[in-house]
Amino acid sequence: MDRGMLLQYLIIALAVLVSAWVVLKKQFPGVVRRLRGALALWLVKPAHSQRLQEWGRRLAPPPANGGGACGGCSSCDTKAPKQH
Amino acid sequence: MSGAVARLALVGNPNSGKTALFNQLTGSRQKVANYTGVTVERKEGRMRGPSGREYAVLDLPGAYSLHPASLDEAITRDLCRGFYPGEAAPDALICVIDATNLRLHLRFALEVRELGKPMIVALNMVDAARRRGIEIDVPALEKALGVPVVETVAVQRNGAKALVERIDGLVPQLASQPLQQPVEAGEHHAQVRAILEAAVRMPSRTGKIDDTLDRWLLHPVYGLLTLAVVMFLIFQAVYAWATPLMDGIEAGFGWLGEFAAAKLPEGPLSSLLVDGIIAGVGGVIVFLPQILILFFFILALEESGYLPRAAFLLDRMMASAGLSGRSFIPLLSSFACAVPGIMSTRSIQDPRDRLATILVAPLMTCSARLPVYALLIGAFIPAKTVWGVFNQQGLVLFALYVAGILSALMMSWTMKKFRRDKSEHPLMLELPSYRLPNPRDLAVGLYERAMIFLKRVGGIILALTILLWFLLSFPGAPENATMPAIDYSFAGQIGHAMAVIFAPLGFNWQICIALIPGMGAREVAVSSLATIYALSAADDDAAIQALTPVISDGWTLATGLSLMVWFIYAPMCISTLATIRRETNSWKQMAFATVYLFAAAYLAALVTYQVAKALGAG
Repeated sequence: MDRGMLLQYLIIALAVLVSAWVVLKKQFPGVVRRLRGALALWLVKPAHSQRLQEWGRRLAPPPANGGGACGGCSSCDTKAPKQH
Repeated sequence: MSGAVARLALVGNPNSGKTALFNQLTGSRQKVANYTGVTVERKEGRMRGPSGREYAVLDLPGAYSLHPASLDEAITRDLCRGFYPGEAAPDALICVIDATNLRLHLRFALEVRELGKPMIVALNMVDAARRRGIEIDVPALEKALGVPVVETVAVQRNGAKALVERIDGLVPQLASQPLQQPVEAGEHHAQVRAILEAAVRMPSRTGKIDDTLDRWLLHPVYGLLTLAVVMFLIFQAVYAWATPLMDGIEAGFGWLGEFAAAKLPEGPLSSLLVDGIIAGVGGVIVFLPQILILFFFILALEESGYLPRAAFLLDRMMASAGLSGRSFIPLLSSFACAVPGIMSTRSIQDPRDRLATILVAPLMTCSARLPVYALLIGAFIPAKTVWGVFNQQGLVLFALYVAGILSALMMSWTMKKFRRDKSEHPLMLELPSYRLPNPRDLAVGLYERAMIFLKRVGGIILALTILLWFLLSFPGAPENATMPAIDYSFAGQIGHAMAVIFAPLGFNWQICIALIPGMGAREVAVSSLATIYALSAADDDAAIQALTPVISDGWTLATGLSLMVWFIYAPMCISTLATIRRETNSWKQMAFATVYLFAAAYLAALVTYQVAKALGAG
C-alpha cells in the first residue's frame, strides 16, 4: 500500500471514529455521561500519575443543570451575557 | 444578593410575553407564540446591565396561580419559593403582566407579591393597550401595588430598555422591600377591582375587531371550513413555491459532486466525499426550502392568535376521540418535532388526557418526515394540476398530514374504549387578541428553524451518513465475487437479512438498510438511500445523479406508497422514544408506544402494498 492510500485510510478511520462519537453523544447522552464519569473516576485515582489524573479531571462530565430536557433537536445554545 | 450574579426570575400568566422579554433581556432566541403554554420548563440566560453588573435571568412557565393545577405551574411555584431541586431561589422576581388584560394578570401579580420576594412589575404590551384606548396611570398603579412598575414592549427592539435600567438601579435595594401579608383569594378580586378603578381607564368597548373576526372564525361551520382551507393552502404553497429553490440546490450539489470527482484521485476518500457526504447530505439539504415555507405559515398562524381558536373549534372532535382541546397545542408543536410536543403536554392537567396525548404525538407529521415524503412524492406522483388549480403533489402531501392526524384520533379513540374513566373534561382556554405577525419574529423563527435543520445536517445526519458509507464500503468484494461489491459489505449483508421480513411490504434491501440509521433522524433515510444508490452505481456519472429519478425507475409505485405509509406510523426516532420514557417515567409506556406504532406501520404498509399490487401498481 502506497503512502497516499495509507493517508486516505487514516483520514477515513478518523472520520468514522468522530462520527461514531457524535452519534453516541447525540443519541445516547446518558450512556456517554456514565462512561465519561466511570473513566474519569478511574483516571483520578491517587495511584495514577499526575498527568493521568489531570486527564481524568478534564474528562469528567460537566454538572447536570435544569431538567435535562434536550431531545437531540440541536436547538440549545449557551451564550455570553447580553450587554445592555 | 446571593453571590456576584443576581438571579432574576420572569413570572406571569401564560401568554403575557415572558419569553419575548427573556429574549430581549438575554439575547436568546427561545420560541415565542401568541398562545398559552409555550414555555413548559425553566430557561436560563445572562445579561449585563449598564452598570456592568451581571444577571442570570430565568424564564419560567406561565401560571394562572401559585396554587398549581398542572406540572408546569408547579415548576413556577417551586422555583419562586426556592423549593425547586438543585436550584437557588431567585433574588428578585420580574412579574410580567399584559397591559391589555389587567383584570386577569393583576390577580397573579398580587399573589406573587405575597411571596415577599423583591419584585418589579413589567407592564408589557403597553403599545397594544394604547391602541385599544386603555389608559394606564403607571405612578398610580405603582402606588396601588406597592412595587416598581415599568412599561415594556417585549416584541420591539429596545422595548425592555427602561426595565433593564430599573433593574440595574433597583435590584441592590430591593431586598429591603416590605413583606406583603397573604390574603384570601376572594380578596384578590376585590383588590384588583380597586386597583383598576384607581389606575386604569378602559374604553367603552374593546376588542371590536376580535369580536368581528371571532364571529366568523369560531363559527361551527364557517370556522371549520376556514381552518380546512387554511391548512390546505399551506400545503399547496409548500410545493408551488419551493420548486425553483430546490432545483437550484440540487444543481449546486450535482456540480459539487462532479467537481470533487474530477479533482480527487480515485480511491476510498473520493468515494467517501462524493458517494457518501455530497450525495447523502445534498439529498437532505435540498428539502430546506419546503421546511421553511411550511414553518413560515405555522409561525405566522402562531403569532396571529388564530391557533387557540383552532383548538376551540376542534375541542368537540378531540373530546369524542378521547383527547381534550388542551391536547391541540402539544399536537401542533409535534408538527415541528415530537420531542417539544411531548414535553408541552405538561400543561395538560388531567394525567389520563396527558398520557393519551403523549402516545399519539409521534403520529403528527414532524418536519423530519418532510424530506422523506417530498422524495417519494417527487418520484411517484406526477407534478400535474388537478381540477385546474390544485397541485397534485401538494394534494398528496396534504393527504399524508391528514392521515397522521386521523390516525392519532383513531388511536386515542381506541385507547378511550379500553379505559374505565370515560368522562370528558371541559376546555378552559384563554383566547388571546388577534395581532399581525411581527416580521422580525417571523424572520427570527425561520432563521432558528433553518439553523436547527442545518445543525442536524452538519451533525447527526452527516455522522450517520459517514458511518453508513463505511458499513456499505467494507469489507470489499472477495476475489471470486459474482455480485456487486456493496452486496458483500456489512450493511449489504444486514440489508439482505432484513429484506426477508420486509419483503411482504415491498421493501428491497436498500430500503431496509436506510431504515436503521433513520432511527437516529428520519431524514437520514433519504441521505442513506442517496449513498446506497451512489455506491451501487456503475460509473461516476450515474453516482452523482439525483436520487428522485433513480428510485422512480427502480421501485414500483406500490413500494413507494407502502414506504410513505410506513413513515406515517413508524416511531423511527430514538429521541422521541427517550422523551416518552422521561415524561411518563415509565419503560412500560415507552415499550407500548414503540410496539403499537411499529405494528401499525407494518400492518398499514402491508395492506397498502398488497392492495396496490393487486390493482396493478406493483
